[in-house]
Formats: sequence, structure tokens, C-alpha cells
Amino acid sequence: MTDTAKEHMVMEHLVTLTYHERLTENLNRYADNLLEGRIIGAKCPSCGRVFVPSKGYCSLCVVPTTEADELELPDTGIVTGFTIIAPVNYYGQKKTEPFVYASVLLDGADTTLGGMDITGVAHSDLRSGMRVKAKWKPRGERSVEAMSNRGWGGFGDVVESFEATGEPDADEEAFKEHLF
Amino acid sequence: MPAAKSTRGDIAIVGYAQTPSLRDANPSEVQLLVPTVTAAIEMAGIGRREIGFTCAGSCDYLTGGPFAFVSNLEAAGAWPPISESHVEADGAWAMYEAWMRLQEGDIDIALAFGSGKSSPSNPAEVWAQQLDPYYLAPLGVDPVSLAGIQARALLDSGKATEEDFARAVVNSRRNAASNPNAQLRDADASVEALMAQPYFRAPLRKHDCPPISDGAVAVVMARGDRARELCARPAWIRGMDHRIEAHQPGVRDLTSSPSTALAARKAGYDGGPLDVVELCGTFSPQELILLDALGLSLDGDTKVNPSGGALAGNPIMAVGLVRIAEAAARIIDGSANRALAHATGGPLLQQNLVCLLEGE
Ligand SMILES: [Zn+2]
Repeated sequence: MTDTAKEHMVMEHLVTLTYHERLTENLNRYADNLLEGRIIGAKCPSCGRVFVPSKGYCSLCVVPTTEADELELPDTGIVTGFTIIAPVNYYGQKKTEPFVYASVLLDGADTTLGGMDITGVAHSDLRSGMRVKAKWKPRGERSVEAMSNRGWGGFGDVVESFEATGEPDADEEAFKEHLF
Repeated sequence: MPAAKSTRGDIAIVGYAQTPSLRDANPSEVQLLVPTVTAAIEMAGIGRREIGFTCAGSCDYLTGGPFAFVSNLEAAGAWPPISESHVEADGAWAMYEAWMRLQEGDIDIALAFGSGKSSPSNPAEVWAQQLDPYYLAPLGVDPVSLAGIQARALLDSGKATEEDFARAVVNSRRNAASNPNAQLRDADASVEALMAQPYFRAPLRKHDCPPISDGAVAVVMARGDRARELCARPAWIRGMDHRIEAHQPGVRDLTSSPSTALAARKAGYDGGPLDVVELCGTFSPQELILLDALGLSLDGDTKVNPSGGALAGNPIMAVGLVRIAEAAARIIDGSANRALAHATGGPLLQQNLVCLLEGE
């Protein structure tokens, strides 16, 4: 077989799949509140665990949660787990400098917010248990457009970062069940 | 290891639940599942932790996210860890796996569920991806066009007419009128009115095609005496079998379904009397092809699709298991003693599953 013939064995087949959906009622309320600078979660009526954001049910008790179970949480908490990513130049990557990807456990919550930037501290000084507080974007710059029903990216684009407060670190007991 | 005692004919459906078939459900797929799985478990009268095995069926292409199926498992209550599995297929295949697992003989209760939301995506885009990637997927052949080719082949073969298509739809719409879970209902449907409708994708009219649906369904199975304890009249699974044909529709006779006929035989259906058949014909010509494969007709003694069938509500990935749940419901409520349910997967009835259910 000649090289030319081999070239013709390659077929390009690009696929685009488009999905349109509304946020679930629980996420819709969560998103509206984030735009106002408030973080709400849902407290399981059975076990009392607080999910942020609400899933619309407790995944441990398998009971639905409703608007009546929702409550406002403070915008303070602790870093549970983190990684520092040195970006490579793949398609869609806009970052050029190393950045933090941290999970934050808000005070009073039982689930973490993932993928948060942590500022006010050198990367080399980042620690699990470090106390942080949300640094909100100005009201007009907050966006929840990237939020989806799928569990990834559940915080929209409403804060610049979570900033280290300088308070003493939380004890390991506070986060050892929440590292991810 | 001692040879396991065969318990094949000794497993029954003792609980079931489904959501209504909805055009555009706002809750997430797992939010649809949470109350549905709970209701099936409550109907069975068991504790969640009594379930020895759980199997789920769904499709990540429909949900629109990799590993989307993982969160569906939360509806089963997966902490502390449970023994479970998932099939990227209709919940009927999840039930088949759970039924096989029960035959091992070491557990008494299994749960199967299926779920899907077709509303967020474009079915013509999504379902082109299940075709072969060299010839058909790049053409973007969509389900309605494929079904149109099948319908044309059926007309050309002389096995059916467009009026026959309409008769299947009338049967569906009228039966669905008394089914609160159905999406398309019309107690006054008539062949004349349907035939007056314009073609949608000739020779198919819009009503020959299924609606776009969101929904979920769950089924609880139990073995032997445990089933008799839990349910006054369990729906015994006499047999369940699935068979597959060539993937490429172009190499098949699209006007017949030998895999359905074979699956029915292997499931123990001997052609004897049936009170009810629930078929997953998602286009009206397919319902006729399936009836023919089973030796049945719309005019016979067997009640065809008393729920309205897939033409009245098509929550893909749940719709097949809904057929089994509907058939089981008729055994459990005493209105039928022998029922056959069917589920399908792949393009144009490529793969077919048959479940034969009986009262004691
Ligand atoms: Zn709970």
C-alpha cells in the first residue's frame, strides 16, 4: 500500500452534543443567593448533616430536602485538602502561573466547596486546617453561568478567592473526614 | 464449592414504583430516583439494608456528563458501602443482572432501577452516536429517520399498512387514558383522525413516534418464601432472556425481530395464553413487528400494552423496565395471571429482552 492510500484511511469525525437544562429548584435558589453574596445549604431533616449546595436530598439518609430545610451559612471556613497546579498549555487552559485548587469546608457545613483559589498565603505555606474567608467579587461581576446540575463547578464565579484570615489553624479532627 | 441449587423460577417482583413520564422534568435524574426507589422499597415492605444487590441502568450521553451514573447510586443509599453494579442500558438489563445475581442463592432481595432525562439533549444528536462510527454516525442518522426506513420496509413487505400503524397508536392512546403515569393520552383517539394528520418523516406521522420523556422506575425482587412473606401475590419471573442482532441495520431484515422471538422462547414463552403483553415498541411499526415476532396481534385475546406502552411515554433507559413493572403490577393486583414484558436497546430493535411473569 502506498503512503497516499494510508492517508485516506484517516477519517475525521467531530461530534458536538448540546444540552439545555434549567437548574434544579434547589440549585436555582443557591445560585440566586450567591449572586447576593449569601451561601445557603440544606440541613437533612433526618441526620442533620448540612449539604452545600443542597442536592435536594440527603445522600446518606436518602430523604428529600426542601426549601424549608435550607439555611444560610457563614462565608468562613477551613481548607481541608488542596493541590497546586502548574498549568500546561492545553486547549482551554487560560492560566499560566501555578495556582491553588483547594477544598473549603464552611463553618457549619458537612460538605466541601471544591476547586477554590486560596490567597493571602504563599503556596509553600498552604496547610490543611488553615482558616479562610470568602473574598467576594463586586456584585456586578459575579456570575453563576457555569453552574450546572452535574455536581462539578457548583460555586459559579462569585468569589475572587478564599483568603487566609491569619487565625489559628483548626484541629485535624475538624477536617479529617473532609479531605476531598 | 457445592453446586448451587437453581432458583431460576423462584424469584419474583414484590415492589415497584415509577415517576410519571414527563416532557421536561425540572428535578435532576437522581432527584427523580430518590422518591421512586424509596417507594418501591416501601411497597416491598423491606428495610433498605436488606437489599443484597443493586443494579442501575442509565446513559451518560443522555445525562450529559462523564460518570453521571455514579450520583444516581445515591438514590439507593450507598453508605455504608453496598454491593452494586451499573449497566449503560435500559433498567430492564439492570434487572436482568440483578435477577442473575439472585440466582447465586446467597442473597434474598435485589433492587434494580432505570432512569433517564431526554429533555436536556437533542435525541437526533445523541442517538446518532450509538451507530457505527464509520458509515452511519458521521451521517448523523437520527432515530426518526431510521424508524422511517424501517416503516417503509414494513409497508413494502406487505406485512402492514399505514392504517395498521395508526391502529397501534389508537390502542396506545386509549389505554394510556387510564394510566396517570402516561404522557400522551386520548380516550377518543381514532384511526380516521390519525390518518388525517400530515407526514412527519414519511411514512411516519408524528403520532407514530414516541414523545421525548424524562422518568425513572425501580423494581424490588425477592426469592422464594421471602417473596411470599413480602407480597400476597408476587409476580414470579418464570424466565428472562435477551438476544442481540447485527449492529448495522443495513444487514438485517428490518421487518422482523428474530431476536425477540428467540428471547421469548428462551424465557419460557411457549406460545400459550397470555393475559397481558407490555411491549417497548417506541415507534408504531415496531409494535407491529414485535407482536408478529411473538405470534400476537392487536385483535387477539391478549391485552396489548394496557399502560399505553412506549408510544405514550418514552423515558429512555427507564421505559423498558417500566414495561416489566407494568406487567408485574397486573399480576400483583390479580388482573392477570400470565404476562410478558419486552425491552429493547440499540438502533431499530437491535437487542431485545423478554421477561415472562406469572402468578402463583
Ligand atoms: Zn441525612
